[in-house]
Amino acid sequence: MYRMLSVDLTSGKVEEKEVSELFRTFIGGTGVLTYLAMQEITKDLDPFSEKSPIYFAIGPLNGYFPSMSKTVAMFRSPLTGDLGESHAGGRLSLAMLSANVHVLRITGRAEKPVYLSIDDDSVKLVPCSSLWGRSALATERILREKEDHRKGKKSIVRIGPAGERLSPIAAVTVDSSRHFGRLGLGAIMGSKNLKAIVVSGSNCPELKDKRSYQSLYDRIFQELIGSENTYKYRDLGTAANVVPLSKIMGLPTRNFSQGFFEGAQGISGEYFADHVLAQQISCAHCPIGCIHMGVLRELFADPHMYKALKTSYDHELIYSLGSNVSVSKAENVLKLIHFVERQGWDAISIGVVLAWATEAFQRGFITLKETEGPALNFGDVETYLKVLENIALGKNEFYRDLEKGTYHCAKKYGGEDFAICFNKNEAPGYMTGPDAFVGYAVGVRHSHLDCAGYSVDQKYLGRSEDIEKEVRAMYEEAVWRVLTNSLVMCLFARGVYTPQKVVECLNAVGFDIDESKMNQIAHTVHGMKYSLKESLGFAFADLTLPKKLTSVYTSRGKMSEADFKKRIEPYQRLVEEDKSLASRAL
Amino acid sequence: MAKKLVVKDRERCIGCYSCMFACTRTWYEAVGIEKSAMRVKNYPGVEGAFSVRVCQACRDPECAAACPTGALRVSKRGFGVELVKELCTHCRECIKACAANALQWDEQEKLPIVCHHCGVCVRYCPTKVLAMEEVR
Repeated sequence: MYRMLSVDLTSGKVEEKEVSELFRTFIGGTGVLTYLAMQEITKDLDPFSEKSPIYFAIGPLNGYFPSMSKTVAMFRSPLTGDLGESHAGGRLSLAMLSANVHVLRITGRAEKPVYLSIDDDSVKLVPCSSLWGRSALATERILREKEDHRKGKKSIVRIGPAGERLSPIAAVTVDSSRHFGRLGLGAIMGSKNLKAIVVSGSNCPELKDKRSYQSLYDRIFQELIGSENTYKYRDLGTAANVVPLSKIMGLPTRNFSQGFFEGAQGISGEYFADHVLAQQISCAHCPIGCIHMGVLRELFADPHMYKALKTSYDHELIYSLGSNVSVSKAENVLKLIHFVERQGWDAISIGVVLAWATEAFQRGFITLKETEGPALNFGDVETYLKVLENIALGKNEFYRDLEKGTYHCAKKYGGEDFAICFNKNEAPGYMTGPDAFVGYAVGVRHSHLDCAGYSVDQKYLGRSEDIEKEVRAMYEEAVWRVLTNSLVMCLFARGVYTPQKVVECLNAVGFDIDESKMNQIAHTVHGMKYSLKESLGFAFADLTLPKKLTSVYTSRGKMSEADFKKRIEPYQRLVEEDKSLASRAL
Repeated sequence: MAKKLVVKDRERCIGCYSCMFACTRTWYEAVGIEKSAMRVKNYPGVEGAFSVRVCQACRDPECAAACPTGALRVSKRGFGVELVKELCTHCRECIKACAANALQWDEQEKLPIVCHHCGVCVRYCPTKVLAMEEVR
């Protein structure tokens, strides 16, 4: 039986509802949440209003199979006004399963700061005014200690000060440096006076047919710990991308001016591993261990007083706070990441903001009057730290604007041509060619992870383009990922969980499903997502390529606005088919 | 001689909990970690440091000595313990007695969770934190 827990922060009322039918129809995770969001998220809903819902969901395979370790969140994005969807690892999916909560729905607004405490059947709102203002890192430390008496494994989901200030690029941090990073969920929690959610429980669902389950489990487990499919993540992690991307001119550098970064070696996965990697850790029930923790040792008093900062790094952060702002020392990237972690911004978005601000300063859209002192230079890490500090302090209107995102700033100060956003969302770390950019634009959550255009680009390097095939490849990937996001699987395990294996797993947990039915559900949910997005204002026709990107050289050369549109149109046609499928199904 | 479970190299632990899932699955035919006889614990405030707690395989176990009914007794292997469920009065004295804080409690059944030193957790540890060792 699948269960939804609804908590109204205004009244404190808690409701339970069985949602097994929804799981049967939409599998779980993003599928179930898209359906729920369609009932509640409407065009006139203010993301910061009491009525604005936050949903978290797991899927039917979480807990049951390794690397099914993510949780999906859905909300109305305060950054884009569009549908917000974000995924995080950590221990949350295990904790939700242990608490027997498959969907958590939060509405309302607490009068004063609270955290939501869920421990099996005990659901409480705990006043926590003294935690307001604490960093995302301190909040976890405090709550882990305060709630240490609990029996079950706790997952601690919280915002930093950025979310409290309602920054639409604020993230929600989960356990050790995992994040619901993108599209501003942190601000929604802030608007609800919800500082944190602590989840634990003792539920251990019984296995029905252990023998066949065990042999399937073992096959998957062995592949996850030993195969080529996961090697990159076990080894250097996604930071392995840095140098190869730079070599093919696909690593965004100095606000997407070029794809080659002359300092790539200093922020490469190899450099990080050799010089700052302290250890690797993993999400609950994932044997891959992809979370790379770097340690930064800093002398703070002569002659030998050191402090050590432990911070996780990944390709996206190395791009946004490294190459894209021309910071070429791993240690300096860690310093920036650490500051961002404490404040609780989405690391991609805040990096793109810094890059935009630097270019805007150099081109005269922003002057010393706005910055009140610092001159912005690419590569100047001390100044960037100062800028981040000024944003955190809300020093003046300009700094308060910066954390409203790149789109907002460019509208206000000018420099829209080099504001690297797609549908108002800051771009991820690939400039491999047209498919990467088109993917950011058309994707359901405007992430590189929606349709993996960057990967399609790389398959076409040095080959002549085939728009129809490329677009179809992206579309098919996007549809498949709707399914994996309904499970909710970690994408790093995608090479192991083939469609056939996913069917076997679903059968093992009691789903009567085959590949064709699974495919049908994925297309339906994909269509539902776009119907919902369009009802909130998204339109394929409005998608634009930031002007600057028409004059830079990507891995696949230059592209024009027309090239961009040429790919959007066929993509839209494919989506239309899913939309009609969805409207027939609902 | 029989083998016992030991923590061989704690610092290698990545905190994936595959060991606890394996234990729960094997002995309780269930999904999760809370019925596992061992624990991987993360400390408040210490990023990425895990404490791995397993049954110490005592020859003269404190937990068994503390049991008022003889429900928990030295295993026939000569080390570690076994449980006679019917005799257990759910008093938790055994849990309190284990100085290593290694004996776990099943909240649902209200029974101690005994480690069988079967080694299934070792098989699922991707980084070889755990090992089976000859009992001397």
